[in-house]
Amino acid sequence: MSTRKLFAKDIILLENVEAVVNNIIEQMREDVLQRFKRNGAVVGISGGIDSSVCFALVARAFGPEKVLGVILPEKDSSPDSEMFAKELAAKFGVRAIKEEITGALSGFGCYERRDEAVKRVFPEYDPSTWKMKIGVRQSGLFSNLPPIFYLTIIDPEGNVKDKILPAREYLQIVAASNFKQRTRMSMLYYHAEALHYAVIGTPNKHEQEQGFFVKYGDGAGDVMPIGNLYKTQVYQLAEYLGVPKGIIERTPTTDTYSAEQTQEEFFYQLPFHLMDRFWYGFENGYPPAEVAAVMDETADRVESLFRNFERKRNTTEYLRMPPIRDYYQG
Amino acid sequence: MAIDTATTKEKIRNYIVQSSHADADKIKDESMIFREGFFDSMGFIMLITFLEEEFGIKTVDSDLIEENFESINAISEFIQRKSQN
Repeated sequence: MSTRKLFAKDIILLENVEAVVNNIIEQMREDVLQRFKRNGAVVGISGGIDSSVCFALVARAFGPEKVLGVILPEKDSSPDSEMFAKELAAKFGVRAIKEEITGALSGFGCYERRDEAVKRVFPEYDPSTWKMKIGVRQSGLFSNLPPIFYLTIIDPEGNVKDKILPAREYLQIVAASNFKQRTRMSMLYYHAEALHYAVIGTPNKHEQEQGFFVKYGDGAGDVMPIGNLYKTQVYQLAEYLGVPKGIIERTPTTDTYSAEQTQEEFFYQLPFHLMDRFWYGFENGYPPAEVAAVMDETADRVESLFRNFERKRNTTEYLRMPPIRDYYQG
Repeated sequence: MAIDTATTKEKIRNYIVQSSHADADKIKDESMIFREGFFDSMGFIMLITFLEEEFGIKTVDSDLIEENFESINAISEFIQRKSQN
C-alpha cells in the first residue's frame, strides 16, 4: 500500500532544517577529508543564493580558516555580485580573494567570438556601448514545443530589439559564453590544488536535473552540497545559516551577458516557487490532475508541463554524464 | 508558384530523419515529432533554419505554435500557407 502524501503546496518544505544542515556537513566532512584526503574547500562566490549557501555550509563543515572564497568577476559581471560576495565572506569570517578573469577570457576570444555572432543577427550592434542577452519566452513552457531562444540587444538610449536566434548564431554565442564558467572552474582548481583543498560545486537540484549548467564549467566540482535541494529548500537553508538578507532577497540572475537577465527569463520560464512544486509533482509521479487542483492549473496544462520536464531531463542527460569509457570489456 | 505537397513532405521527412538520427520507419506524416521526442530545443531552432533556407519563408513569433510544427503534415501545411502569402 502506498504511503505517499497527498500533493500540497507545502509538501516541498524541509521540516527540520537543522537536521538537514547537520547531515550535509557530516557527509561533506567524510567525503572531503576522509575519502578525498583534502584539507579544506574552495568555493567560487558570485553573491548569488546557491554559492552563498554552499559557502556557509563549508564554513561550518571545515571551519572558516580551512575555506577559501574566490570572487571571479569579468567585464560583463554586475558590480553587485562582488559587493554581495565580500559581504558574505565577512559575515562568515572566511578569507575571500578576487580573481579578475576578463584577460583570460579575452585570450580565449570569448567576447570577440560572441560579438561576431551577435553582429550577424544585428549588424548595428556595437559591443562597446550596447548590451546583449539571450533568453526564452515564458509562454512556451505549457506548450509541447521546446523553447526557442531570442537574442536581445539594447542600445545606449535603452531601445530594445529582439529576434529569434538562428541555430548557428545561437550555438556560437553559447559556446563563446561558456568560456566564462569554464575559466572560473579552472581558476578554482588552481587554488584548490595549490592548497590541497576540494572544489565545491554549487548547482542546486533544478540546475542539475534540467541541465542549467556548463559541462566542466559550473557543473564541475568535487562535492555538490545542495545538488539535491530545491530552490525553496536552498532559501530555507540560507535563512537558517544566516546568509545576508541582501543575498536572500536578490533576484537570481545568470550574470553572464552584458544586459541584466533573470534565470527565469533565460531558462526556467517559471518562478522558483512554482517550478519547485511542479517538479516535485513530476518527479514523484503525482497525477497531473492532482497537481493541477492544488496549483490552480488545468490538468492538460500540467500534463504538457510534465512532458516538457521529461524532455528537458532526457535531452540534457549528456551534460550530466561522465565520459563513457567502458567500450572494452576485456 | 505553389510548391508540390508531396515534394515538400519528402524534403521535411528527409531533413527530420537525417538531423534527429531517428529510424526512418518511425517518422510518419502524422507522427508528433516533438511530443515523441525526436527534437529538442536545438532541433527546433535548426528545423526553423532549414525551413527558412529550403523554402524561402520567414518565420515570425506568432508562427511558433504547436499547430504549425507538430508533425510533417502540419509543417507542410504551414509551408504552403506561408508560400501563398
